[in-house]
Amino acid sequence: MISILEFLARLAVWLVLAPLLPGIINKVKAWVAGRRGPPVLQLYYDLARLWRKGVVLSTLASPGFIAGPAVAWVAVLAAALLLPLGPLGTSLSFRGDVILLVYLLALARFCTAWAALETGSAFEGMGAAREVSYAVLAEAAVITAVLTLSLQTRSVSLSAMLAPSAGTGAVLLAVGLFTVLLAENCRVPFDDPNTHLELTMIHAVLVLDHSGPPLAAILHGAAMKLLLFSVLLVQAVLPVGELPLVAAAGALIGGVLVVTVAVGLVESFLARYAFRRVPLLLTTAFLLCVFALLIAWKGGAA
Amino acid sequence: MTMDRLIVFAILVLVAAALSGPRLPRVWLALTLAGTAAFLGAALWALGGGTEWDWRSGFALGNERVHLRLDAVSAWFLALVAVVGGAGAVYARGYWPDRERPESAGRGRGWWSTLILCLGLVLLCANGLHFLMAWEAFALSAYFLITLERERRETRAAGWLYLAASHAGTLGLFAFFSLLAARTGSWELGPMRDHPELAPLFWVALFGFGVKAGLFPLHIWLPSAHANAPSHVSAIMSGVAIKMGLYGLIRFSGWLPMPAGAGWAVLALGAASAVLGAAFALAQNDLKRLLAYCSVENMGVILIGWGAGLLGAANGDTAWGRLAMAGALLHVWNHGLFKSLLFFGAGSVLHATGTREMSRMGGLWRALPWTAGLFAFGSVAISALPPLNGFVSEWLVYLGLLEAAAGHAPVAVATLPATIALGVTGALALAAFVKAATVVFLGAPRTQTAAHAHECGWWMRAPMLGLAAACTLVALAPAAVWPLLQQPLAAWNSAWLGGEPPAPLATLGPVQLALAVVVAATAVALWLRTRTNGLRRALTWDCGYAAPTARMQYTGGSFAALAVGWFAWVLRPQRQLRWPRGTFPRRADHVERIPETVLERAIGPVSNVVMSASAWVRRRQQGHLPDYILYLVAGLAAVGGLVVLGSVR
Repeated sequence: MISILEFLARLAVWLVLAPLLPGIINKVKAWVAGRRGPPVLQLYYDLARLWRKGVVLSTLASPGFIAGPAVAWVAVLAAALLLPLGPLGTSLSFRGDVILLVYLLALARFCTAWAALETGSAFEGMGAAREVSYAVLAEAAVITAVLTLSLQTRSVSLSAMLAPSAGTGAVLLAVGLFTVLLAENCRVPFDDPNTHLELTMIHAVLVLDHSGPPLAAILHGAAMKLLLFSVLLVQAVLPVGELPLVAAAGALIGGVLVVTVAVGLVESFLARYAFRRVPLLLTTAFLLCVFALLIAWKGGAA
Repeated sequence: MTMDRLIVFAILVLVAAALSGPRLPRVWLALTLAGTAAFLGAALWALGGGTEWDWRSGFALGNERVHLRLDAVSAWFLALVAVVGGAGAVYARGYWPDRERPESAGRGRGWWSTLILCLGLVLLCANGLHFLMAWEAFALSAYFLITLERERRETRAAGWLYLAASHAGTLGLFAFFSLLAARTGSWELGPMRDHPELAPLFWVALFGFGVKAGLFPLHIWLPSAHANAPSHVSAIMSGVAIKMGLYGLIRFSGWLPMPAGAGWAVLALGAASAVLGAAFALAQNDLKRLLAYCSVENMGVILIGWGAGLLGAANGDTAWGRLAMAGALLHVWNHGLFKSLLFFGAGSVLHATGTREMSRMGGLWRALPWTAGLFAFGSVAISALPPLNGFVSEWLVYLGLLEAAAGHAPVAVATLPATIALGVTGALALAAFVKAATVVFLGAPRTQTAAHAHECGWWMRAPMLGLAAACTLVALAPAAVWPLLQQPLAAWNSAWLGGEPPAPLATLGPVQLALAVVVAATAVALWLRTRTNGLRRALTWDCGYAAPTARMQYTGGSFAALAVGWFAWVLRPQRQLRWPRGTFPRRADHVERIPETVLERAIGPVSNVVMSASAWVRRRQQGHLPDYILYLVAGLAAVGGLVVLGSVR
């Protein structure tokens, strides 16, 4: 009974808190630009409105057009549920769950790309091609980060893995993972969530033809993914799991806020990169993770 | 006793099927299904009971008594042979029927049963000489199946390349088995761990079996053979026949002492095959070539698991080695199942549109809903995505590699890069299958043929459904497969005998099941919500463009362009661009071809040199008596010179 309640509470945390993050980012961007900006809760209003709206479906679309966003949303949610929340741990932990997490995100990518290509639009083809191609480099970085954590903590399950070591390795890993976070969540400098020029984007192009409840699922899933990466990043760098409950909650929330504000600041002060340079940046992130891996390896051997 | 009967029954029935094939299609189908069912029964009996079957004949063949043996390792592969062999036989009835292929259908049936029989015999033979015989018969029957459509020049070329490559590999196997027989004094095969001097033979076997397994860079024959063969043949070639190379490797790596560097070399080969196979697959525009290259990738994944298993076994029979090896073996089954499913799907598309060129397809889901759904299923499975079966085996391999890292095993120097390679492979394979499935089935039809396609019949649909069901079974109840999987593991390395299924596997099954249920429920819920809110069909928005045409869609080539650019150093894409020029440009085009780099850049030039050297030698062999006298005199002079030199010293 307790475990079911706990699971529901965990579910609620992920579902309810996730849409806050894009709001905070937008607030930070508005503050830097000296504007008032949309309210922090804007995404909630958007989601509520989209959920009630009708849908315009491309004449070419198959049922996969609706199923894709649904599967992707479930995949991201399941991945999020695998992630421990500080000392609270997770409701399900087993050896190798970290690989399941990585591959659930891959499943989400598969379904998003599938749904995008349903419409036969060149724009969405472009976006899907970019999404799956850049993911090759991002995946290398993520797997390397996983290996680093695994070497550091001598364990292969998330609940034990997220007990980071301090020092150079942690800094390298943090920068590497932050870059991956920006790429995977389609933020500047990889992608510009605000532009209206679809040619230059990845994510907004992918969902160009979606509307109504499926679009709501996509936007909510994207927000959850951002929260997931932030929580992962914070726990990979801060020893949240070892703190007492209140301090841990503070550290986790504070850390996620710092990450979110950092995303907003990056977005305010940096221009989007030319697409030719994106692989370079991702390779840099991968190399940072490789250096962190080498440090962890050296530390373990010594 | 039962085992005797099952296997003898299977062999006799398959012989009868091969004989009846050309004339009696119904009898053939019944006999082939009975034969494969008997093989499957025998394999499952051996796997379930953990019993080994051993039989020696009273008569001799080539001066050697026939010795057949079915242990867990061979039973593991035999089960796959039986399943795909049976499914392919049913599929062939719809795909290659007499009324459409009057000339080759009967031939195809006969060779199909022969191939299954030979595959079974390869797995059963426990005598080196007979193994080679069965191996050769298997290679030849596969050749006749590949060249069923021999009126096409491409098919003949592909068949020839296959035959040449296969024999190059067989040459290695001749060397391997004769050296083995010479060192041990007998053709009998069995555990020979106590002969440390046999270790270097592993390298010969790695070449000989590696050609058949299609490991990079020995895969040169594979793409064209799999692309040009009839689809049910491609399925058994890709799903089962290349696994025979792997069977040989796993078999003898379990029996022979291993050289020190074996695990490292296998990991490196595996990583290369996996990453480059996936990159080549992504670059292809021919649906069946894409699937063929993906086989190279999956063999690489299996090799990574097997290599980690070798390293684990060499370093104190570690638990992580066992996990990785279990993943490799399970991936043998999984890949056999979903790759056959995908080739059947590709066959259905080919049957409907008459082309393998993906840029001529598009929008086929409307005409081929079953095929589209099953191909999508196969694509998710082969991209190793949860909740399907490809994920289970790749996850086991990952788990082994990660535990090696977590345990700070010294060999982690090798497993760490292999893990990263596996991650990159996964992402590349996902891209390749997003491309394959969506370019073929989604969007608008790019040509008239694609617009007028038709769904395949039940003869073709049923085997696909069966294979998908088998995939689902492995995916949702992996713990139930474990008792079977444990037998070949223990037969390969007796130190891994017994033991519970790894705890996380028992957790993964229910998680996958829950995920599948929730995914399905959410999709239905979202669909219902969408329908309640109101649904309107309209033109694809396309940023407001009012008259989109099918040719404006992203093609497979443009989809892969980014990643192909990163791998241009090995893919060497050949581009021909004609820009639009002038005020009223006539036409412009962009043709891109991805060559088979190893074949065209390495093997091709080398064989050209060999050919011109041979031509030069042939010019010296014109039957002119004076020439031969000159050779004789020159030879005598040389020998005399040597003698004189030797006596001086």
